[in-house]
Amino acid sequence: MKALVLALPILLPLLTAIVLLLAGRRRWRRWLVALSALVQLGVALVLAQGAYGQPPQVLALGGWAAPYGIVLVIDLLAAIMLALGALTALAAILFGLAELPPEDENPLRLPLIQFLVTGINLAFCTADLFNLFVAFEVMLIASYALLTLEADDWDIKQAFPYLALNLVGSTLFLVAAGLTYGMFGSLNFALIAERADALAGTPQLTLLSLLFLTVFGMKAGVFPLFYWLPNSYPILPSPVAALYAGMLTKVGVYVLLRIFGQVLPPDLPLPHLLMAWLAAATMIFGVLGAVSRNFIRGILSFHILSQIGYMVLAIGLFTPYALAAAIFYIIHHIVVKSTLFLVGGTVVVLNRTDDLEKTGRLWLATPVLGVIFLLQALSLAGIPPLSGFWGKYMIIVEGVRQQEWVLVFCALLAGVLTLFSMLKIWNGAFWAASAKEGVHTEERRWRPMAAVAGGMTVVSLGIGFGAEFFLRVAHEAARQLLDRPAYIDFLLRGGG
Amino acid sequence: MKTGDSYIFRSVASFLFFVINVFAVYLLLRGHNLPGGGFIGGLGSALSLIMLSMAYGVREAQKVLRVDPVRLATVGLLLAVVTGMLPLFLGEPFLRHFHWKFDGLPLLGKLEVGTPLLFDIGIFLVVVGVTAKMIFVLFRSISGLTALNPSEWRRYSADLEEPVEREHSRSSSELETEDGP
Repeated sequence: MKALVLALPILLPLLTAIVLLLAGRRRWRRWLVALSALVQLGVALVLAQGAYGQPPQVLALGGWAAPYGIVLVIDLLAAIMLALGALTALAAILFGLAELPPEDENPLRLPLIQFLVTGINLAFCTADLFNLFVAFEVMLIASYALLTLEADDWDIKQAFPYLALNLVGSTLFLVAAGLTYGMFGSLNFALIAERADALAGTPQLTLLSLLFLTVFGMKAGVFPLFYWLPNSYPILPSPVAALYAGMLTKVGVYVLLRIFGQVLPPDLPLPHLLMAWLAAATMIFGVLGAVSRNFIRGILSFHILSQIGYMVLAIGLFTPYALAAAIFYIIHHIVVKSTLFLVGGTVVVLNRTDDLEKTGRLWLATPVLGVIFLLQALSLAGIPPLSGFWGKYMIIVEGVRQQEWVLVFCALLAGVLTLFSMLKIWNGAFWAASAKEGVHTEERRWRPMAAVAGGMTVVSLGIGFGAEFFLRVAHEAARQLLDRPAYIDFLLRGGG
Repeated sequence: MKTGDSYIFRSVASFLFFVINVFAVYLLLRGHNLPGGGFIGGLGSALSLIMLSMAYGVREAQKVLRVDPVRLATVGLLLAVVTGMLPLFLGEPFLRHFHWKFDGLPLLGKLEVGTPLLFDIGIFLVVVGVTAKMIFVLFRSISGLTALNPSEWRRYSADLEEPVEREHSRSSSELETEDGP
C-alpha cells in the first residue's frame, strides 16, 4: 500500500495523460482531468502530512536498493513541492475549462499538461542524478510541445530561444552528470553526498558545483542565462502560462536547493558567493525588464525572474534560516505568481487584450477582480501582512546578519520597483478611464475564471495570515534538507 | 522531393522491409539479457517505415502502418506503465518484474519469459509510434502535403484552428480528397 501511494504522484498524471490521449475529443475528458488533478492534490497533501517530522519515505524502483537501483525519496520539501505543483495544475486546469468551450480547446493541451506534471513530479521525487535528467527531459519535451501547440509564426519565433537555451542546458546537465559519475562512481544523491565530503574544499568539487550552478541556474532563469523566459511565456495561453510561471522555473530552484543543500557539502564559499551576487543581478535586471514592458503578461513574465532572484539569494546566503526563507518564498511565490497570470488571462477576456494602452475601466466593471489583483500584487511586492512580506523579511534579516549591505539594498530596491510595475498594471487595466475595445462583462465565462483566481487568492491569504504554520513547515523542511548525515545513513544503511 | 521513381529502389525496399522488421523483432526479443531491447528494436522498425516513405511516398507508408502513430505510441506507453504497476497490487514495488522458466517445450525447448518482455513491447510501440509520427510529418512537408491528414486533423485540433498550410494557400483540394472514399 505504501509503495502504491509513493508511486501515485508520478503514475496518476501519466495514466491520466494516456487516457486523455486515447479519449480524443470526447466530452468526459474534462471531468476526468479535473477529478485527477483533485486526487493528485489530495495525495500530495497526505504525503506532506506524513513527511512532517518523520524520516523521508523511500520507494526503491523494481526492488533494487539505494546505491545501485534508482530510488524515489519523498521528504518534506519534496512533498511540499508536489502539493504546490498539484495545486497550481488544478487551478490552471479549472481556469482552462472555464475559459474555453470544449470544442475550441486543442485536444492535446490537457494530455500535454499531464505529461508536464509527470516530469515535474518525477524531478521532485527522484534521488538520482540521471533520473533527474530524465525527469527534466520529460518536463521540457512536454513544455516545448505545449509552447508551440497553439502558436502562430510570430509565436514560434519567440519560442525559439526557449528551445535553444534549454537544449544547451540539457547538454551541460549531461556533461555535469558524466563528471559526477567520473568523480564519485555513482549518481545516487546519498552516495555522492557521502563521497563528496572527502573532497570538500578541493578545486574539482568547486568546479563541479559551478557547473551545477550554471545548469540549474539556467533552468531557473538566473542572470545572465535567463533570456529564454521573458519572451516565450507571454505566447502561452493564460492557464498554461500560469502553470509554467508557477512551476517550471521553481523546479530549477528546487534542484539548486536539493543539490547545494543536501548533495554537495556545505563549505563551498565561492559558489555560494557567486550564487548570491548573480541572484542580486537577476533581481534588478528582472524587475527593470518588467518596468520596461507594457503588456500584463510581459510584465509578469519578467517578474518571475526578479522573484527567482530572491529565492536564489536566500540559497546563496546558505544558513538554515536562509534556506527556510527560500522554501517559504517558494511556497508564497508559486501561489501568487500563478494567480496573477490567471488574473491577466481574465483581463484578456474582458478587455480583448492585455496591452496596457488599450485596457481599462475594470475597477468599475469588476471590483472583485480588482481586489484579487491588488491583494496578489501587494503580496508580490512584499507589503505586510500578505504572504510575500514574510519571505522577503527573512531574506533581508539574514542579509543584514551577514552584513551583505549591497545585497540587502538590491533586495529592497527590487521590492520598490516591483510595487512600481504592479501599479503600472493597476493604472493601465483597472484605473484607466477608457478601454479601447470596451469591457465585455457580458461574456459570462469571466466569472468562473475570476472565481478560480479568487480561490488561489484565498490560499495565498492563508499563507500570509497563517505564516507561523508555514514558517514552521519551512524550517522543518530546511532542517531535513541540511541534515546530511541522517539522510546518507537512512538511504544507504537504514530504511527503504 | 520526388519519390517513388526508381524501380530498383522500390523492389529492394519492399523486400528489405520484411528483413528489417524481422531483425527488429529479433532485437526486441533478445533484449533483456543481451544487447537489444524495445528501444533499439523500435528504431529499427521505424527505419523500415522511413525506407518505405522514400521508396513509395509517405502516403503509402502511412497506409502500411494503418494506425494513427500517436495512438500506437499511447497504447505502448499504457502497456509499459500497466506492466510496471502490476506488482503494486501484489505489495511489491513499482517496476518489479517477474520471470518464469519453461523446460522441454515442443520446438522451442528451454524458454525463459518474464514481464520485462511486456514492458519492452510497450517501449517498442512507443518508439515506433513517436518516430513514425515525426518522419511522417517531415516527409509530408517535403512532398507538399499538409502536416496532418484529415482523420488526424479531426482528432487533434480544435474547431477554432485553421491548418497553417491553408493560410499559405497551398492547393487545398488535396486536403479534401486525400484518404477520401
